[in-house]
Amino acid sequence: MARSGRRRATADPGNSPISRSIRRAFDDAAMRRSGGAGLETPASRQGPSRAPVVVPPVSVIALSRAAYGPRPGDVAAFDALGADDDQRLQAWVDQQLAPGSIDDSAAEARIAASGYTTLGKSLAQLWADHVVADPEWSERIRPATETTLATFLRAAYSKRQLFEVMVDFWHNHFSIYGWEFYEAPTWVYYDRDVIRANALGNFRTMLEAVAKSTPMLVYLDNWLNSADGPNENYARELMELHTLGDENYYGAVPRNQVPTDAQGLQAGFVDEDVFAVTRCLTGWSINADPWWDLESGNAAFLYRSDWHENGAKNVLGVQLPANQPAEKDGQDVLDILATHPGTASFVARKICRRLIGDFPSASIVATAAQVFLDQSTAPDQIAQVVRTVLLSSEFRTTWAVKVKRPFDTAVSVLRAGDADFPFIDDDPDTNTFDWLFYNTGHYPFGWHPPNGYPDFSEAWVSSGARVLSWKLTNWLIDVEDPSGNYRLDAFAQTPVEVRSANALADFWIDRVLARAMSSADRQQVVDLMAQGVNADFDLPLDTDSELRDRLQTMVGLIFLSPDFLWR
Amino acid sequence: MCEISRRGFMVGCSAAIAGLAGSRFNTLAFAQSPGNQEVLLVLFLRGGMDGLTLMPPVAGPDRGYYETARAELQVPVTGPNAALQLSSQFGLHPAAAPLQELYQDNKLSIVQAAGTGEANRSHFESMEFMELGTPGVRTTPTGWLTRHLQSSAALPETMIMPSLAMGGLQQTSLRGDRQTVNLADPGIFALNTGPWRWRDAQRTSLRNLYEADSSLLHITGLQALDAVDVIDLFVSDTYTPANGATYPSGEFGEHLQVIAQMIKLELGLHVATLDLGGWDTHANQDYWLPSLLTELSQGMHALYTDLNGSGVSDFTQRLTVVVQSEFGRRFVENADDGTDHGHGNMMMVMSGNASGGLHGNWPGLAAGQLFEGDDLAVTTDYRRVLSEILIRRLGNNKLGVVFPGYTDYSPLGVVAGTDLPPDYKGGPGSTIFSDGFESGDTTAWGGG
Repeated sequence: MARSGRRRATADPGNSPISRSIRRAFDDAAMRRSGGAGLETPASRQGPSRAPVVVPPVSVIALSRAAYGPRPGDVAAFDALGADDDQRLQAWVDQQLAPGSIDDSAAEARIAASGYTTLGKSLAQLWADHVVADPEWSERIRPATETTLATFLRAAYSKRQLFEVMVDFWHNHFSIYGWEFYEAPTWVYYDRDVIRANALGNFRTMLEAVAKSTPMLVYLDNWLNSADGPNENYARELMELHTLGDENYYGAVPRNQVPTDAQGLQAGFVDEDVFAVTRCLTGWSINADPWWDLESGNAAFLYRSDWHENGAKNVLGVQLPANQPAEKDGQDVLDILATHPGTASFVARKICRRLIGDFPSASIVATAAQVFLDQSTAPDQIAQVVRTVLLSSEFRTTWAVKVKRPFDTAVSVLRAGDADFPFIDDDPDTNTFDWLFYNTGHYPFGWHPPNGYPDFSEAWVSSGARVLSWKLTNWLIDVEDPSGNYRLDAFAQTPVEVRSANALADFWIDRVLARAMSSADRQQVVDLMAQGVNADFDLPLDTDSELRDRLQTMVGLIFLSPDFLWR
Repeated sequence: MCEISRRGFMVGCSAAIAGLAGSRFNTLAFAQSPGNQEVLLVLFLRGGMDGLTLMPPVAGPDRGYYETARAELQVPVTGPNAALQLSSQFGLHPAAAPLQELYQDNKLSIVQAAGTGEANRSHFESMEFMELGTPGVRTTPTGWLTRHLQSSAALPETMIMPSLAMGGLQQTSLRGDRQTVNLADPGIFALNTGPWRWRDAQRTSLRNLYEADSSLLHITGLQALDAVDVIDLFVSDTYTPANGATYPSGEFGEHLQVIAQMIKLELGLHVATLDLGGWDTHANQDYWLPSLLTELSQGMHALYTDLNGSGVSDFTQRLTVVVQSEFGRRFVENADDGTDHGHGNMMMVMSGNASGGLHGNWPGLAAGQLFEGDDLAVTTDYRRVLSEILIRRLGNNKLGVVFPGYTDYSPLGVVAGTDLPPDYKGGPGSTIFSDGFESGDTTAWGGG
């Protein structure tokens, strides 16, 4: 294994962080915190007493949860939207839920200047250029590469923030490992025509777009699903991951063990339903002739009637007659699933988990699910569900119930720091970012199983994700453009009158967090900047590059702090 | 003199640890209080490994059923790709030749037809049932290995790094364990970016910030800082496997080497978790499986070879590797040269203390013997295998805590060791389930 660049133990252990950690060995509280004494009561396992949660202003909540963190000026713009929090939040949400009406020319100009060549290609063109032409691997996967770069770019620079948050949500809901042989070449299409086209639209429409999409047909094998050779891979995940959810899976038990409603609709699914849905979706395949040679076709969805299993089926207690017209069995399945109360509840819970916290209350989930059901035919069904969640009291009264994932962290650093960062294929800084971000374990479209990246804080607080996110953050505050300027230049953004450690800390705490830190935490920031000098004295930043490095480091500390990582 | 607290991560002897950087740790600490120095590696094959391909029946009536059900995917008994001999009734896929060698040396025990017994063919539910150690319950806040670490009375007084979760995310079996070091590559697991002049000063401030409260973020952030220090202090940049061991190229082989390195460094590693994915072979199984089986078999063999020394350096005498997957695959292949989700599956236990041989009752492959007429049945609860390792190797008999609700343990005999009467006390409702991070308890997450 090639390993390099690691810092060795410092020569002076007395003052190094390492010796401090070892000294902590003798701190009883620390031992209790780490569970050192084994079976104990919860109270005795607490570390320092838990500080009360301070719920930040609504602007900060909205910009941190329904967006990727505030950019300079975002909080002020939010506050200008109305006379009180109700008006402001509602106006902001309505603005964000109409992304087409938001002028996004700055982000679009960045995209135009980034040299992408695949984002405008149709599915047929992607297939011809990146599959049939059989180019080298980097060219084959270019559509996935450029979609990834554009995903970072938009999250950092687009004003259509809620839209970007929901695009990420649906990519993980209808998750596909994107870096594969047939998936990567079609990724522009999947992102643009399937996910983005429907991210705030109608769930049933999106469900069908996913079901008929080339990469999903390949990823979960339904393109092979035929009467002679049923393949239940997609049918199972369609129910377990895309619609009813695992919370409505009753297991491999007879269907008569599942409760039904007055019309005989089952409350959830069993394996018999998996088999029935598999049969319903036989023949949902991909254009090619011969069928097994995908490169002989144009990658479009193709219904193969001669592959379809025409017998009668029972799906969740609904009887589907034999010999239905083309696609009808599958369309019926999508109808049943998209309008099922279990689906409404499962999808609503996931949206709440993304926008509010890991464990949203039953009441907000039920409220959102009801909107999902009531608006099942509305073209903006999803937007209405999202609106319900964002305008709930739970959204604006909860905090510190969700931890930023590495993607959220990296992008919110760029936003708060107003960084000018390139997302350009083969740019050296982009490449380093790519490598450091890959190491965090949260690479876009890089989750192999079909259930998407976990959306619970628990998954993202392990040492690997934390350390490598910190490492990336500290690189971002240190990377310079070719002219030698920091890409995230704290000094350049600091007003000339802000020069003392106290003033610098307060300016940047407000800029990065848009709220105060606890006085103890603030003191750590001040002390790092002051390094023993009176914190009220002006520091000669203008003439001392070491001090400017120190300022970058101080801003980095705010980015690494717990306050920055809550959402 | 060291003031030592058991299982406190990085809770050791200040000067001693610093002075021991790069050298063996056990000479000091383990000599004082040996405790249980076993290492358990849990290797999870994600996606549902097809045990009927890794270990096909080669004789008897089941061979006939197998050849009918697996017309395309069967492992032949003759010819260049014939199954390797394992027993009179079972063979091994030829790609698993390294496992045959371990089996013949009685370093590999195989349990047939194991599983949770839950009627469930979901990857995600089945994995959580197994890794949480509570089949049928997914809301358990801690993994079974977490509860083992919390409950064992046999652990040494000093463990710098009691648990290691290899890969991008901490495995569910270690859910809720805040001491676990989670990493994919120690070479990149470092805080070595940012303006260099102020890195140490920032680290000091950062630690102060995370010591100031006890929210989820504070606790885990502090552990992350500790983990960086441990890796920085103890792990060298290069590692050369012993005995000419050749690990497979790729992430799995690299992860195995990290584990071997950590074991040899004597950091008190007691539990490690590792994944090998890609087993969900709904199509073209005959293309995907041989290379995966090669990677798995070579990796296991290389780890054993690497750790196989003499005397105190024979780490295989302290090592137990258990290999499991969330379920087996459907007995009858599908038309796409693949197999769909099934039920019962084999488990493997590799150890210098393995008994070798086949264990558990083989339920048979006749139509009437299959689970729901479709899948290999489960005749051995997977917790029975893990409980035997817990008791005989790790010296922890608190099965009621580790596997609440599991009450009918008896050893299968997969490993040698000392039997202890199982202690079934504990489980849901006991304090071990109340660590402040329960599902649904959002108020306990406060901080910031």
